Amino acid sequence: MNIPDEMRNILYANYFGYVCTSDRFDQPHLTPVFFVYDENSQKIFFITNERSKKIKNLSENPNISITIDIRDPVNPFNNEGVMAQGIANITDRAPIYFLSEETLQLYYDIYLEFKSKYQLVIDNKPMGENDVMIQINVEKMVYWKGPHFKSLKFKKDSQIFS
Amino acid sequence: MVKSEQKEKKWIYEDIVGKIPPFSLLSTKYSILLQLLFLLVIGIILGFVFDIEQISMRYGLLAIVVAVSWSLLILQLAPTLRKFRAPLSKDENDLLEKYKNILFHKNHYEALPGLAIFIPFMFYIFYLGTDMMEMWVGKEPNKILIVFVSLLIWDICYRMGLGLWTSALALWRSICLKKLAEKRTELEHTPYTELKYLQKLDINNVFFGLISLLLLPIFKTDEFLVTVTLTFMFLVCFTSVISAYIISKVPWLPPDIYNLVNESSFAYIGTSLGGVTHVTPVVYVFDGQKIYFNTSKEAKKLKTMKQNNKVAFLIDKRDMSNIYENKAVMFTGEVKIYGLKDIPLSLFRMLGTLHHFMKKYPDYTKKYSTSELPKAWQLTPIIARILVEVKPVKIIYWRGAKQISVPV
Repeated sequence: MNIPDEMRNILYANYFGYVCTSDRFDQPHLTPVFFVYDENSQKIFFITNERSKKIKNLSENPNISITIDIRDPVNPFNNEGVMAQGIANITDRAPIYFLSEETLQLYYDIYLEFKSKYQLVIDNKPMGENDVMIQINVEKMVYWKGPHFKSLKFKKDSQIFS
Repeated sequence: MVKSEQKEKKWIYEDIVGKIPPFSLLSTKYSILLQLLFLLVIGIILGFVFDIEQISMRYGLLAIVVAVSWSLLILQLAPTLRKFRAPLSKDENDLLEKYKNILFHKNHYEALPGLAIFIPFMFYIFYLGTDMMEMWVGKEPNKILIVFVSLLIWDICYRMGLGLWTSALALWRSICLKKLAEKRTELEHTPYTELKYLQKLDINNVFFGLISLLLLPIFKTDEFLVTVTLTFMFLVCFTSVISAYIISKVPWLPPDIYNLVNESSFAYIGTSLGGVTHVTPVVYVFDGQKIYFNTSKEAKKLKTMKQNNKVAFLIDKRDMSNIYENKAVMFTGEVKIYGLKDIPLSLFRMLGTLHHFMKKYPDYTKKYSTSELPKAWQLTPIIARILVEVKPVKIIYWRGAKQISVPV
């Protein structure tokens, strides 16, 4: 099952996502990220530093949400966006020869995806020394345009990473 | 090092009392209570020994209460300033250091105004032929009684002097701080907590001034002394109120963040309940001091915030053409949700914020109010739209790829 076109368009046409995590005391934390949406697996990926607060929060609480939206300062009826809620999975930082073939392939695909989407800004080098890739296993997606809402629930599927 | 610093920030009185057991063994609060008790006991013993009238006892009691309440207020100054963190602006830091140095100068300037009040006062009482002394302790009182009364007078005068001294210095400090704040660049600022401390000390001084009204019954037969007391009260309260007001106008955000918050149109609000997070865009206003956003009464985030008022609030400037120019600020902290019960106390603030919203988002306001909308989008304050204030505890600021933590 593919997600509705309007959600898909938002996920493909925007560069910034706003990721919300929270720690074990339920204190939320919010950061802008670059992300890619992978249609095959219906997951959202982003890259972050392994020492960041996000990673610390995710290791305490894997719940995550991300909002991607178009904002119109003049007409609120043009405001359009998607919020995805789900469980985050932090990729292993094992040396490359310990990773499964599947994982490697996914790494490679997502890496290329990032490279093509953000080539203008990240100089062909989407991942740095201490960066890790996060995949969001989406459980629920909300879409809005102006005052109209649409909500979508996802079936729990098997995780790609072992 | 720390010890010597602490010792420096003491006034004569604090210093002397701090060396005499049992006062030296107790915390400030108990030490003051003990002093109160000590003075009361001496007063009562003297009263019985010299068989003075009950009314005199009451005057004495009143004077002791005034002196001790003043002690209580004024002694909060040193510990508050001691835990003061340095402002992130060299000029503002210099100013506050200078302020502290004058306040707790090793030459004990703070005793001068006290002396300047004490000497003329004694002269007035003993040589200008007023019958104050007679009213207080009767005709031809014993010398010991006179010494005790003089001690009380010194106690009162010394603290009156301290009141004038601290409130005048506070006003000077606030005016200078406000001026320096206008010249800040980038991330220079004095953190919010510190500004609040200064404001709290100013409010303390207002009470300090008001307490002097308790002296009126003691001076009631002497018009001149009544006038002096009222003038004193007015001076202290007035300078302190002005000082607190000026501090409230000092921005608690450094200019870079202030401008970002002031110029941006949208923000994101992140909430969390039972670990499940939620993030949505919101419109917000900033009045120079406080950040408010609006949410629909139907919104999921409102229900969440009512159960867990911890939030993350992010404002950013995004620009794909040059990501190193991107700026973002995240406030983490709590929210205050305004409802019906807040109308009596916060009506003007709520109306003012509504006005801000209409000014910042004129098109939104127009579009929202002219169309037929679902309930979730209606604008009626309180009934359909809920006002929420963000109360930051922590600030993270990003400029390009750099992450900076800014103290609140």
